[in-house]
Amino acid sequence: MTAQVALTAVQAQPVPGLDDAVVEGAEIVAGHDGAAELLVRLRHGNGAQSAMSLDAETAFDLLRAAGAASLDGLVGQPWRDLIKGL
Amino acid sequence: MFDLLIKGGTVVDGTGAPGFAGDVAVQDGRIAAVGPAIAGEARRTFDATGRVVAPGFIDPHTHFDVQLLWDGAAKPALEHGITCVVPGNCSLSLAPLKAQDRKSLVGMFQQIEEMPPEAFTQAFEWTWEDFAGYRDAIAKTLQLNVAPLVGHSVIRLWVMGADAQARAARRDEIAAMQDLLRECLEAGAVGLSTSFVPEFYATDITLARVDQLAELSVKHGIPTTFSPLFDSAATPQNVPRVMARVEEQFARGARVWPQMQTRPIDISFSLLRPSLFFARLPRWVRVLRLPLAERLAALKNPAITDKMLEDVGPDGGAAMFGELIVRGGDEAPAHLAGRTLGEIAAERGETPARALIDLSLEHGLDVAFLAASRGHDATDRIGAMLASPFMHIGASDGGAHLASFATYGDTGYLFSEFVRKAGALSLEAAVKKITSDTADIWGLKDRGLLQAGKAADIVVFDADAIGRGAERPQFDMPGDGMRYVRDAVGVEVVVVNGEVAWADGAYTEARAGVVCELA
Repeated sequence: MTAQVALTAVQAQPVPGLDDAVVEGAEIVAGHDGAAELLVRLRHGNGAQSAMSLDAETAFDLLRAAGAASLDGLVGQPWRDLIKGL
Repeated sequence: MFDLLIKGGTVVDGTGAPGFAGDVAVQDGRIAAVGPAIAGEARRTFDATGRVVAPGFIDPHTHFDVQLLWDGAAKPALEHGITCVVPGNCSLSLAPLKAQDRKSLVGMFQQIEEMPPEAFTQAFEWTWEDFAGYRDAIAKTLQLNVAPLVGHSVIRLWVMGADAQARAARRDEIAAMQDLLRECLEAGAVGLSTSFVPEFYATDITLARVDQLAELSVKHGIPTTFSPLFDSAATPQNVPRVMARVEEQFARGARVWPQMQTRPIDISFSLLRPSLFFARLPRWVRVLRLPLAERLAALKNPAITDKMLEDVGPDGGAAMFGELIVRGGDEAPAHLAGRTLGEIAAERGETPARALIDLSLEHGLDVAFLAASRGHDATDRIGAMLASPFMHIGASDGGAHLASFATYGDTGYLFSEFVRKAGALSLEAAVKKITSDTADIWGLKDRGLLQAGKAADIVVFDADAIGRGAERPQFDMPGDGMRYVRDAVGVEVVVVNGEVAWADGAYTEARAGVVCELA
């Protein structure tokens, strides 16, 4: 019950900066099917972190959208802007 | 008189109890007795002195659906000690399937399993539409046991036709799917498989999936399992966070078993397609993303390749490429398969980076390279994860990804890497994990234990040797299709339902496998 009350409170309050995710890091990982994938780590405006992996085609498109020559060029870029370019 | 007597081995019975010196007697497909110095004659006797006698291993995540139609042993799974496989994973099974939908499902199987088209046109005859028909089609020649799942996607396809991939199901369609699922379960399916968008390193999404499965488990009183769960240096909190949620859900009565594979993940690529393996080399990425004709021209242009070689550093790519392995099974000369690029480059008098380019060019870019153990490879971390009582060892994907990597030998690797080398699990705990634990999770009747009255699925192996052979290409798919395999190491005898199916390094003519029943 306590958890439910807390959850309701969270839902009622907008979370400042939740959409302000920026790329905190990117690195190559081994994908399930043996292909190299790109793991992108995000830090959200509220301080939370998350990660996702992208296949090669999407990852190359992301680099292009970011105008980044290498993975390091993704760091610090706003995630929402990057995915608009895909 | 017994049919079979395995004498003088160390019996590891699948319960997790310490192994003991003893014999195992078999009669009429069942284990007749287990104990020290069993008296009595037998039609066939094996001396297991110095060897472990254990229940046959069970592989809970495979895609042998098609292969089982022409290969009842699911080779080479059986020779690795696997006596039962679970096909039909990832929402895909070969039944129920209407004749007019075969072509579209074949496309899905080819994409996932990388099986040549001849596998569907030359290797078997489609004789079924419903699940019972498929069960009967494979049951004729089974050398190992099968506990088949029915795929959610084919159930949707049966009921909704082409709309299955276009819209949500209506209420009446959902009811029809429920009826069809019930029919499949009554015809021998042990459960339903479905799939999510791949999200292997997205912990938050995996946590949500755990909660979804937990709700299903509690609501319907069923066990659930998902796979794969990977560890990675890039996401070190992934498995700990997921397992914490799994334990919470078990504490409230749900059964949500994550599956984890034992083998590390390798990365493979060729210059035929752009790979993220080169993502830290901007000039390489630019060239490899060119259309094929332009890419070939660029790779033949010294002005361009000299710049590419500058990217890899003063060691000529020794650190980056030297340990890459030429895989074989493609246009590369067979004698190079299995060798490192560093060795080959030294022989050619080139740097590894130059050798990578030149070797690829010499064979139309169709040369596959493998970077071994690039993920899920931290033995010290993964050993503890595999040993968790909440972790289900599986996720082999046997029978899938044929042209990408070998999905065989994970059980051998469990013993060689995590029992012998790391000591993360005892021999008995490892055996229990892939025998009785698996049978219990899946509810398989009379499987997974060496006890009187249980099905006589038995493996005899050398605990000091069991492992997996090197990955190698093999052209034994229909139409001379290639797949990567690994040979068994240290497995000496495999018995399925009382019949010797593998011994002295060869398959027998026994066809004693069955479609498993649920307890």
